[in-house]
Amino acid sequence: MNDSLPPQYDRVQQGSLVAGVVLLGLSIALGFSNWTQFFRSYLVAFIFWTGMGLGCMAILMLHHMVGGTWGFALRRLLESGAKTVRLMAVLAIPLLLIVPKLYSWAAPEADRAAMPPFKRFYLSRTFFTGRTIFYFAAWIVLIYFLNKFSAEQDRTGEPGILRRLQNLSGPGLLIYGLTVTYASVDWAMSLEPKWFSTIYGMIFMVTQALSATALVTVVVMFLSDRKPLSDIVTPLLFNDFGNLLLVFTMLWAYLSFSQYLIIWAGNLQDEIPWYMARASGGWAWVALALIVFHFAIPFFLLLMRFIKRRKRILAALAAGLIVMSVIDIYWLTVPAFEPKGPEFHLTDYGTLIGIGGLWMWLFLSQLRKRPLLPLHDPRLEEVLHHG
Amino acid sequence: MGMEPIGPQNTPVVPPGVPEIAPGHTYGSVTDKISAIVLTRGTRKGWWVGFLIAFALLMVMHYAIAMVLFIGVGLYGINIPVGWGFAIVNFVWWIGIGHAGTLISAFLLLMRQKWRTSINRFAEAMTIFAVSCAGVFPLMHMGRPWLFYWLLPYPDTMGVWPQFRSPLVWDVFAVSTYATVSVLFWFVGLIPDLATLRDQAKKRIAQFVYGFLSLGWRGSAIHWRRYEMASLLLAGLATPLVISVHTVVSFDFTIAIIPGWHSTIFPPYFVAGAIYSGFAMVLTLAIPLRSFYKLEDFVTMRHLDNMAKMLLATGLIVAYGYMMETFMAFYSGNPFDRYMIMNRMFGPYAPWYWLLITCNIAIPMTLLWSSKIRRNVKALFCISLVVQLGMWLERFIIVVTSLHRDFVPSSWGMFYPTAIDFLLFFGTIGLFFTLFYLFIRYLPMISIFEMRELVHKTAEE
Repeated sequence: MNDSLPPQYDRVQQGSLVAGVVLLGLSIALGFSNWTQFFRSYLVAFIFWTGMGLGCMAILMLHHMVGGTWGFALRRLLESGAKTVRLMAVLAIPLLLIVPKLYSWAAPEADRAAMPPFKRFYLSRTFFTGRTIFYFAAWIVLIYFLNKFSAEQDRTGEPGILRRLQNLSGPGLLIYGLTVTYASVDWAMSLEPKWFSTIYGMIFMVTQALSATALVTVVVMFLSDRKPLSDIVTPLLFNDFGNLLLVFTMLWAYLSFSQYLIIWAGNLQDEIPWYMARASGGWAWVALALIVFHFAIPFFLLLMRFIKRRKRILAALAAGLIVMSVIDIYWLTVPAFEPKGPEFHLTDYGTLIGIGGLWMWLFLSQLRKRPLLPLHDPRLEEVLHHG
Repeated sequence: MGMEPIGPQNTPVVPPGVPEIAPGHTYGSVTDKISAIVLTRGTRKGWWVGFLIAFALLMVMHYAIAMVLFIGVGLYGINIPVGWGFAIVNFVWWIGIGHAGTLISAFLLLMRQKWRTSINRFAEAMTIFAVSCAGVFPLMHMGRPWLFYWLLPYPDTMGVWPQFRSPLVWDVFAVSTYATVSVLFWFVGLIPDLATLRDQAKKRIAQFVYGFLSLGWRGSAIHWRRYEMASLLLAGLATPLVISVHTVVSFDFTIAIIPGWHSTIFPPYFVAGAIYSGFAMVLTLAIPLRSFYKLEDFVTMRHLDNMAKMLLATGLIVAYGYMMETFMAFYSGNPFDRYMIMNRMFGPYAPWYWLLITCNIAIPMTLLWSSKIRRNVKALFCISLVVQLGMWLERFIIVVTSLHRDFVPSSWGMFYPTAIDFLLFFGTIGLFFTLFYLFIRYLPMISIFEMRELVHKTAEE
C-alpha cells in the first residue's frame, strides 16, 4: 500500500529548480545595479521560506506529541519541508556577510556609543552572526534526529521509537519557541532597532505554523487522489486541516490585534512610530488588506463545513493564506526601508519565487525518497484497522 | 502550543492500559455509583467537617464585607502609589482559576476529547464558583458597591455614561457574559442527569426538586437532538470567552503605560496563566474527591496525567512570558522598564518574586516532565497547590511591584496588606468551598449520561 511520489512530479521538481535558479540569477543580475535593494528583497524571501521549513518542523513535533489522524497524512510532507532548513542555512551565509548593509545598528555611520549598553552588546555583529549560526545548528540537529527516528520506525517497526520521537518533540518544541523568538528579534525586529514588543516572537511562530499548514494542505490535495494517501484522506480529514487553518488564522489575528491595541492605547514614543509607518501612506492599504484577506474572509469561510470538506476549495483558500503570510512578513519588515509606502522592486518577486523554487525542488526531492505514508506507526495502524 | 489533539479519530498518547474508565462498568453500575453519592449514601461525617470549616470561612467573608460596607475601602492596605492591592490580585486569581473549567467542558468537547467526560461537570462547577468569588472583589473595591449599576450604559438623568475606552468597562461585559454562559452551559449539561436523579429518588421532596429542575426531560430522541445542538452551540460560545475574558483582564493592565503592566505579551500569557492555575485547581479538587468518594474508576490516572501535561504546556508559556518581559526590559533600553525588572528581582519584594519563580517555574517545570511524577497522585496534589500559590504571587508581583515605584521617587511607597485584606481573601475561599460542598452533596459531580456514553464507546472498541 505504500508507494512514494508519483513520477509526474519529476517535471514539477525540475521546473522548480529551473525557475529557482533562473529567477534568483536574474535577481542577482539586477543586484549589480543596487545591492542594497537586492538584499532587502532577499531578506524578506529568506525570512518567509525559513519560516515555512520551521513551521513544518513545529507542526511535525506537535503531531508526534498529540497524535491524531490529520498528522499521518501530513507527516512525510512535514518531514520533507523541515529538511529544507539546511538549504536556508546555506542561503543565510550571504546575509551574514552583508549585515551592515541591512541593519542600521551595524552600519558604519551608526553611533554605537549612544546605544544602551545591553543593546550594544546584543546587537553586535559577532554576537548576531554567532546566534544565527546557533539557531540553524539547533534546527538542523533537531530535524536530523526527527527524520532519523522516523526512518528507523519505517525500517524496523519497533514500537519504542514512537516514545523516542515524543521525548525529542517535547523539548524540541521548547527549543523551537526560544530560537524562533530570538531569530525574529534578530532578523526582523532589529531592522528598527529602537522598537520592541514582547509578543513579536509569538506572531512569527503562528505565521510559520499557518504557512506550513497551508502549504501541506495544498500538496495533500494534489496527492490525495491516488494511493497511498487516498487510503486515509477523507473529506473529514480536510475538515480537520481546515480547522487547523482556522485556529492559526484566529491566533494570528488575536496576537496581531493585541499588539496593535496595546501599543495604540499606550501611544508611547518608543513604540508608536512602528505603527505610524505601517498604518499610513501605502502601508495603510496593505494593513487593510491583511485585516480583510488574512483574517475576515478566511475566518468566515473556514467556519463553514461546506468549504472545509471540499478539498479543492480548501486548497485554494490555503494558497491564498500562503500569499497573505508573505504579505504579512513584507508588512512587518519592509516599512523599515520604505517608510512612505511599499515600492515596486522586481527583485522582491525574483528572490521570493527564486528561493521558493529552490525550496520546492529540495522539498520534492526529499519527498520522493520515502513512502508517502509512515510505515509501522502504531497509532496509524490502529486508525487503518478501525477504518 | 499547549493544544491537545485535533481530529475525529484521535488516538491520544497515553500508556496502553490506562483507560478513561475502568473496565467492567455497565450503564447501570455507572448510574448507581454516581447517583448514590447524592441520593442514597447520605451525608457523611467527612463532608460535614469540610463543609463546616468552609462555612465558617464564609462567615469571615461576610464579616469582612460588612466592615468594608460600614467603614469603607480605607480598611484595605491600598493607598497612593499602590491603589490596586489585594482586591485586584484576588479578582484575577479567581477568574483565572475558573478558566480551566470552561476549557475542559467546552474546548475539549469541540476537540472531541473523550477524557474530559468524567471531570467536566465539577470543573464547570468550579468555574461558576470561582467567578462568583472573583465578582466579590471589584464590587467591594468600588467604595459604594450599591452604585455598581453605574457601570452599565443606560440612559439616566445624571448624564453619566461609561468610558468605553476603558478596559475596566470591558471587564464588566466580559465577566458578566462569561458568568452567564458558564451557568447556562452547566445547567443545560445537568438536565439529563437531573432527570435521572428525579427517576431514582425515593423521597418526595427530592423527586419534586429534581423533577422541577429537569424541565420535563423525558429522554426522547427529539430531546436528545436538541440537547446536543444546544450544548454544541454553548460550547462554541464558551470557547472564545475563555480567551476573551482573560485577555480583557490583561488589558486592565496593559492599556495603562505603567512599566511592568504595559507589555504586548500580556494577553496570551495571561490566558496561559489562567489555564495553568485553573488546571492546578481541578487537580486540587479531583485528587481528594476521587479518593474520598472512591471514584478512581472514573477519574483515572489517565485524567491526572493529561491534566499534568496541560499544566506543563501552559506553565511553559507562562515562563516564556516572564522571559520575554525580562529580555525586552533590557533590549528596549528603556530605563524605567529596566528598573522595574531589577526592582522585582532585587528590590523590597524580591523574596516574593523568587518564591513566585520557584512555585511557578522551578518546581513544576522541572518535575512535570517526568511521567513518574505525573502519575504520582501525592506529588501531583502538592504541585497543584504550589502552582496556585505561585499564580497568586504572580498577580501580586505584577500589581504591587509595578505600582510601588512611581516615576518620581518622591511618590515611592510600599504596600502592606491589612487584616481585612486577608480576611476577605480567605473568606472567598470559604465561599468557594461552601458552594463546592453543596454541589457534591446535591448534584451529580460526574456527568452520568456522558459516562454511560463512554461505557458504550469503550465496549465497542
